[in-house]
Amino acid sequence: MAGRFARSNTMLGLAALAAAIVLFPILIPNPYYLNVANIIGLNTIIVVGLNLLIGFAGQISLGHAAFYGLGAYFSGILTVTYQVSPWLAMAIAVAVTAAVALLIGIPTLKLHGHYLVMATLGFNLIVNIVIVQWDQLTGGPSGFPGIPSLSVGQWAFDSDMKMYFLIWSVAFIAILVALNLVASRAGRGLRALHGSEVAAACLGVRIKSYKVKVFILSAVYASLAGSLHAHYLGFISPKTFDVFFSIELVTMVIVGGMGSIWGVLFGTSFLTSLPNVLHFFDEYKDIFYGLIFVLILIFLPEGVVVALRNKVLAKRESRQRRGSEAEAEEAVQPAVAAIEPSHGSGDIGGRTRRLAAEPILGIRDLHMSFGGLTALAKVSFEVPTGSVTALIGPNGAGKTTMINLISGIYRPYGGTIRFRQNQITGLRPYRLAEMGLTRTFQNVQIFDNMTVLENVMVGMHAGTHNEFFRSMFRLPGFKKEEDLIEQKAWEMLTFFSLEDKAHAPAASLSFGQQKRLEMARALVPSPSIVLLDEPVAGLNMTESLAIASLIDRMRSQGVSVLLVEHDMNLVMGVSDRVVVLNYGRKIAEGTPQEVQEDKQVQSAYLGSVA
Amino acid sequence: MAQFIVSGLTTGSIYALIALGFCIIHNATGIVNFTQVDFVSLGGLMMYTFLLGMGLPLVLAFAVAVLVVAGVGALVERFAIRPAKSRAVIILIFITIGVSILMRGTFKILWGKNQMALPHFSSESPLIIFRAAVLPQSLWILSITLIVVILLHLFFTRTRVGKAMRATSFNSRAAALMGVNVNRMIQFSFALSGALGAVAGIIIVPITTLSYDIGVMLGLKGFAAAVLGGYGNSVGAVIGGLTLGVLESLGAGMISSAYKDVIAFTILVAVLFVKPSGILGYGEKERV
Repeated sequence: MAGRFARSNTMLGLAALAAAIVLFPILIPNPYYLNVANIIGLNTIIVVGLNLLIGFAGQISLGHAAFYGLGAYFSGILTVTYQVSPWLAMAIAVAVTAAVALLIGIPTLKLHGHYLVMATLGFNLIVNIVIVQWDQLTGGPSGFPGIPSLSVGQWAFDSDMKMYFLIWSVAFIAILVALNLVASRAGRGLRALHGSEVAAACLGVRIKSYKVKVFILSAVYASLAGSLHAHYLGFISPKTFDVFFSIELVTMVIVGGMGSIWGVLFGTSFLTSLPNVLHFFDEYKDIFYGLIFVLILIFLPEGVVVALRNKVLAKRESRQRRGSEAEAEEAVQPAVAAIEPSHGSGDIGGRTRRLAAEPILGIRDLHMSFGGLTALAKVSFEVPTGSVTALIGPNGAGKTTMINLISGIYRPYGGTIRFRQNQITGLRPYRLAEMGLTRTFQNVQIFDNMTVLENVMVGMHAGTHNEFFRSMFRLPGFKKEEDLIEQKAWEMLTFFSLEDKAHAPAASLSFGQQKRLEMARALVPSPSIVLLDEPVAGLNMTESLAIASLIDRMRSQGVSVLLVEHDMNLVMGVSDRVVVLNYGRKIAEGTPQEVQEDKQVQSAYLGSVA
Repeated sequence: MAQFIVSGLTTGSIYALIALGFCIIHNATGIVNFTQVDFVSLGGLMMYTFLLGMGLPLVLAFAVAVLVVAGVGALVERFAIRPAKSRAVIILIFITIGVSILMRGTFKILWGKNQMALPHFSSESPLIIFRAAVLPQSLWILSITLIVVILLHLFFTRTRVGKAMRATSFNSRAAALMGVNVNRMIQFSFALSGALGAVAGIIIVPITTLSYDIGVMLGLKGFAAAVLGGYGNSVGAVIGGLTLGVLESLGAGMISSAYKDVIAFTILVAVLFVKPSGILGYGEKERV
């Protein structure tokens, strides 16, 4: 299995890194290079954290030099001015920085794009100016000297070599922890919200909390590096922690390759040593630095390491393709693999089709408008448990608005939505996912930045529990749940005949496959109801038929379906009940037969014959 | 009080001009162009060279300096933005950061690290208006800014090129289908932003000092002003610039001038927290 293969690759990478760390000072005992290596190590710690934020969660921060500075100054001031033990000071620095990141993060991460950049940049400027101005405490612009070395008992980390091993041990652990996080439920949640926030939320990812958590984590990484920096150099000055350094840090992430932990090592080593290498260009060094930087971004925008990796992968793939040219066209008809709906909500376990008295979804007087435009006017209808209920109507009738209201993306202006016994009006999408309500999207919202398998694994987010801490440190219980998630995802891929694409990037699928992938992702957590928003729009006849039979089989396994669709063959063939909307009002409801004979429906679709 | 407002409006005008430059490029490309910062420096530096180095008359030096910087703006687009293989916003933004480093490195070599000074446009003795001492240069700054804003408005609403640029910013594909040369428009917006930055640099430098990186702080404040006003909104940029300038000046006067920049950015961050899309920005609603 390729998953295992990737894992062994990671182990190999870590072993190589460990060997390189040990061998470097033996092979190159030059103190100057050792000093550069230490700075690279410190930067690596920060950039690994920053890459989690930027490369995986997709949030840009131009303020991380400030967190680095907070770590350094807290360590410095606490140990020198207040005689606190360095290790305790380091812990306090981490705690304070985490608290600051929490305070900054909650409002800031609500912002998008340029606003987020500006807010973090502003934060960095403020911290920097405060450090410069509050000179009684910080020493002001001339810096803060005399910070003691770290020590354990009598043994002090008082040489470049000793600090080298300390810094790189921390960097190694930082990388290990980050790799653990990335390959976990929490890590997939982060990448999913980068790919599509709406889709991630509808699968149970707590968007806001995830963003804040990863922001805090990256700040903690920076703070740790800051404390080490203070104790290593013994002297800190505000210049080190200004906005330009924040920019440089982000540059290291980009040059190495966003979303690649190994890329970080390259980006950091390259850009940290570059000014030293360019030293003999003297006053021209800024020009060369800028030029190299710009050229990389223009011609290798995915980052040097990622670009190389893609090249190698592409070569390997083309070799494989030549080997299996004869392989048959992909079967459209889904494999008839039995899949047992289990777990999650109790009452769907393998039950045969039966319309229970209690509706699974009850919509009452739902009202919604945008600006002055009424999208839905007091619409009421029910979805009987275990049924396929279709919601149809001409364009602009309010169907997608209805789906968005039910799945919690919009909040209705009036009316109530009941899901089984519960009032769910206005609940957030992730809550609904946890309760067993999932959906697909009219314009597919797959996570382009992940593989097909990973996309489906994100589907298991609701109802599973491996959070940041357990993932980062691989605590007991982690492996068991992770295996379960992967196993369920494979079953679902097989059910939707996507198993041979499992490790392909989701973006490489055809449109029809993407639609199926989205359904697989919505179905994998064994929901009690799935909302399908135009599942066959844009598909050809065979693909539509395949989807129809899939919907049929969902129902036979006890999953209720609310279907929005324009394709009347599908609607009339597969639905138990049909609800018709026109201009935001319900104009008819009944069996497919009844609805087809309804005069109002006919006139809404064909124009009145009167 | 009146004193603080006048000086606030003066620096606020500069922020407004720079913010307009940020907006124009944002509307054309969706990116933040950090070389805007260096357009400001380069404006001042070119003015120094043409006015003091080559002895051109004031008006001519002004015009030539603006044109040169506009040309540099067009070159930045042609050689750094257009050939980029990725259209991802973050990559393009960091390309402009890289070019900015490159430009500053070049300026440092060409003009050196020393502080320079430019003469005021007219007399240096302050006039007393409403009990506030006002430098004639402040009046120059305010009136030139006003003229530039009016010209810009006329350009965007009355001229063919201006309308084509607006069309490009609303929907570049539709504009292309209507026969607008989108690449040319993007290049033009870089040139225009260059010119705006240059004007800002040229008129402010006489009352500050001149150095190869004078535009950095001014430029960041200009960026802040653009964000404050609602990024991409030109009326917002002007309002944002003036608001930031006045609040900063009042804060510096009443609290502490050492924390002037802290005050400016705290106001900015506070406004963003209350209204994340800026003063005149519209909330973006994701369509699903």
